[in-house]
Amino acid sequence: MLMCRDLAEIASDYIDGELNVQKNLSVKMHLMMCRDCRSFIGNLRASTELMKAHSSGNPDEELMRRIDERVAEALKSRNAHDSNNE
Amino acid sequence: MDTVVNPETEVSLIDELKRGDSSAFKKAVREYSPGMLAVARFYLDHSSAEEIVQDCWVTVIDAIQKFEGRSGLKTWLHRIVANRCKNKLRSSKREVATDFSENLEPELAERFNATGRWDLPPKLRFDESADTLLENGALSDCLDKHLSALPETQRSALMLYEAHQHKSEDVCNILDVSASNLRVLLHRARQKIFLMVETFQETGEC
Repeated sequence: MLMCRDLAEIASDYIDGELNVQKNLSVKMHLMMCRDCRSFIGNLRASTELMKAHSSGNPDEELMRRIDERVAEALKSRNAHDSNNE
Repeated sequence: MDTVVNPETEVSLIDELKRGDSSAFKKAVREYSPGMLAVARFYLDHSSAEEIVQDCWVTVIDAIQKFEGRSGLKTWLHRIVANRCKNKLRSSKREVATDFSENLEPELAERFNATGRWDLPPKLRFDESADTLLENGALSDCLDKHLSALPETQRSALMLYEAHQHKSEDVCNILDVSASNLRVLLHRARQKIFLMVETFQETGEC
């Protein structure tokens, strides 16, 4: 029988739909009977959503600026090389 | 990401990149660099990871001519970064040290008794949506702090899977980890975020 600790160990696999049919069913059965595990799964899912929403922020502008500069330089030298070869 | 490249837009972006269009490169740099950095941070420290991402973009100027579109542009770029990082690690003979042995965070594991039942069950229920919770600036700052404190391997796996929406299979290929190891990385990172949010909600402390 699946215990609370076992469920906590495979909670992410359950949330992401990565469990096989039998394991998935055992989790569902356990969740029907255990309010604490329902809370845990709900909270873990909410934390995942929170992380997802939070991580979609702006990129590091300083790094972007440095990459833009290096790319512009490299494009310029490639174009100069191409026109010399024409 | 504030811009999302759909498949049609991606085809025209690739054409522009192949023509060496500088504004297309600017757009691609903004769109794809955060994910490339997440890949590089899986293997390397912060400043080496930033260097690798810069070097990769310079490589891409020529390499894009041979891009055949067998995978998406994002996956292709992420693989270039991963390969370069692996080469760098090989040349310095260092390995990525990651502990895949435990599925549960010690702080969470302690909350079960010997029979495997909760001794200290979750105290609260997060009923609000993620966006509503994030309106609390202090929680957002706390999340920043904890995300940056995650081991790089866990953070990168989480970023690629959640924020950059790669499929598990792609993340495994890019980072060169097994499916079961990826599951451990994701689960450990999520538990840490769960424990942080729970403490924050209960005590207001980060």
